[in-house]
Amino acid sequence: MKRNAGPKTGLLLWMSLMLAAAGCSNGNNDATPDSQPSQSAGAASATSAPPSPSAEPAEILLGFYSGGASDDKMKELIDRFTEQHPHITVKTQSAPYGQFFQKLDTQIAAGEAPDVWLSDGVYVMKYAERGAIKDLTAWIDRDLNKDDYYGLDFNKDSQGKYWGVPQGIQVGVLFYNKDLFDKAEVAYPTDDWTWEDLKATAAKLTVDAGGKTAVEAGFDAGKVNQFGLTFFSITEGWFSVMKSYGGGVLDSSGQKSVISSPENKQAFEWMVDGMKRGILTDPVDLKSFQSAMSVFPSGSAAMRIGIYARVLAANEAGMNYDVALLPKGPSGQRAAPVIANSWVINQKSSDAKAQAAWEWIKYWATQDEVQKEWTALGEAVPVKKSVANSEVFLKANDKPANRQAFLDSLEFAQTLDVNAVWEEWVGKFNESAQRAFLEDASIDDALSEADKNVQQVLDGFYKK
Amino acid sequence: MVQPAAGSSRRRGDPVPALQRVKPNREGGWGLLMVSPYLLHFIVFVAGPLVASLYFSLSDYDMLNPPRWQGFGNYERLVGDPLFWKSLGNTLYFAVLFVPLQTFLALLLALALNQRLKGLKLFRMAHFIPVISSWTVILYVADAIFNPRFGMANEWLTRVGLQPQNWLQDERLAIPLLVFIAVWKGIGYIMVIYLAGLQNVPNDLYEAAEIDGAGAFRKFRFVTVPMISPTTFLVVVMSTITTFQAFEQIFVMTGRGDFASAGSPNNSTLVLMLHLYREGFTFMRMGYASALAWVLFIVLFLLTMAQMKVQKKWVHYE
Repeated sequence: MKRNAGPKTGLLLWMSLMLAAAGCSNGNNDATPDSQPSQSAGAASATSAPPSPSAEPAEILLGFYSGGASDDKMKELIDRFTEQHPHITVKTQSAPYGQFFQKLDTQIAAGEAPDVWLSDGVYVMKYAERGAIKDLTAWIDRDLNKDDYYGLDFNKDSQGKYWGVPQGIQVGVLFYNKDLFDKAEVAYPTDDWTWEDLKATAAKLTVDAGGKTAVEAGFDAGKVNQFGLTFFSITEGWFSVMKSYGGGVLDSSGQKSVISSPENKQAFEWMVDGMKRGILTDPVDLKSFQSAMSVFPSGSAAMRIGIYARVLAANEAGMNYDVALLPKGPSGQRAAPVIANSWVINQKSSDAKAQAAWEWIKYWATQDEVQKEWTALGEAVPVKKSVANSEVFLKANDKPANRQAFLDSLEFAQTLDVNAVWEEWVGKFNESAQRAFLEDASIDDALSEADKNVQQVLDGFYKK
Repeated sequence: MVQPAAGSSRRRGDPVPALQRVKPNREGGWGLLMVSPYLLHFIVFVAGPLVASLYFSLSDYDMLNPPRWQGFGNYERLVGDPLFWKSLGNTLYFAVLFVPLQTFLALLLALALNQRLKGLKLFRMAHFIPVISSWTVILYVADAIFNPRFGMANEWLTRVGLQPQNWLQDERLAIPLLVFIAVWKGIGYIMVIYLAGLQNVPNDLYEAAEIDGAGAFRKFRFVTVPMISPTTFLVVVMSTITTFQAFEQIFVMTGRGDFASAGSPNNSTLVLMLHLYREGFTFMRMGYASALAWVLFIVLFLLTMAQMKVQKKWVHYE
């Protein structure tokens, strides 16, 4: 009997272990609802006053996406931060862009997300409206002089709440390849161009396989070797055209589509005509390149709408280029697309950790040294105005010469109608836009289809 | 001769007494204990997620907030989701083209490479290379041919006076082209399975058929085809499951560095798995994505059951 008890107890032990393991994970699942605030509760509790600064020791997890040079620089800046704040320990979590956000979402689900992380500007509202990040309004009001910084408003929602502090700003301008302009003996873009002016010049810079330009007889729009303007999706494509024509996608609440408008139709007529004539890249043209990003640096297009980060690729390709303001619409209106990639704080972080995270954000935004070193990497327009307007950013000897254009564009910059379902409505809009661009649908049909589909996406989230 | 044989038989016999020494009161208990590491793995990594995904499919779950029970809401939504029907249609279309084409061509290839040829191994290997290449590599090779601006295919078409095509950017051509490329990549693998099947066909059957006056075609039709029908059945079931799981190819080939556009043009290459991925991981509707996964499972299960039923009519077991 006794000999037989051994395996039996062993078995029981194993079984209970397994049950415990299974039970544990269930227990956690059950516990999450209580510890995680629901959407509305998250927003409500977030408006409370920020905890006062303290020197309590805290360890924070800092998350950011990066690669190569920026990773090293970030680690250096973090080391300096912990030297200045000996009571704060910083652990980091970094990964290339795609992986970073995929991991982040699962971490938020598991309640293990970083205390402070770098969010792509277009994702800030996705996290904010789902209750995953803290409302920073009170902290910003208390600690930051808003006039000293660019782009704080780019993370402000329709109720005036701030959800993040920009880490760096991306704003769109017109890039142009000087060599191609010189070769065609065409004058460079000027700041008072309209979109029609742009198209007229772009036509002279569009060259087919036979060497004919789009203004010459016998030009073959089906065999373009060099495009006048490359044109891609929302940020570096249709958004600023539509906005400067007086149209747009969402109203100021971010919950209603305003796509079906005569202004948008006019903007689309400009785009579709440009694609039909081979002057602008259409979606099929873009897919024939290794990536939509490579058209301009490879010299296959004379101009592009580009955010500041595109400077890196253009410089790497050794291009002879410069930038100008984006053209005006028919009534003189201007719009530059802007994305403020921002530091956000985890809604679930304890007060002490959140306070430490806020120290990091303050350190990032306010200290000149940090701003200067980050600016030198050349990935983004710095947040602090004094640094952006200094030689550190405006580097006279570096390309593009007209760096001032980025700062001037901030005057009429518009965020990309960012909201909780941004990625989804952009996808829907692109589907319909593509049908118009490829002339599979009339502009009217494409716009009303987009209007219906985008509204459906918005209602799916906001009218639940 | 006697000595080593006796020795080896003793060695073979050794483990038996050792096993007999262990006498658990109930064999089942020991069995469970022995498989418990696997069982633990099964509970934590298979059964657990399975139950969780069933629960998610009945909840509103955005990944960032805890799931909220909502009954069959996701399944109701699914019925009214035009993209679900479109993606199901696209998947079936892909399967209907892919499975017969790959099966048939792989069989032909296996027959060709089942001969005594010079450099046979080289040929077999050559057909296997696409199987082990990643989809990204295949994308670049396919792009050299089917790029609408720089590809060879359009060059050939224009040379013989035909209109150039937009290939993957053309709603009508996208899926057939993806199928063609998938067959090219997958055929080597199926061919190997068929080669194994062919080598199991006893030669005396062919001899008997020859004596009865059967020619090459009749031998193929009445000996080879029935004898390898279990292999064909395996291949058909496997390929069907593969097409329903098709994701990577379509994600890579239709996305091309802009993965938000995977499934383009106009959702004509949106297959079930891609729809599921977009809903769950891009649009943060994990509950709905889980419902899609369960429907995918049910569809596959029914299809496989149907195949099992039909096989009695055409699969010949010895």
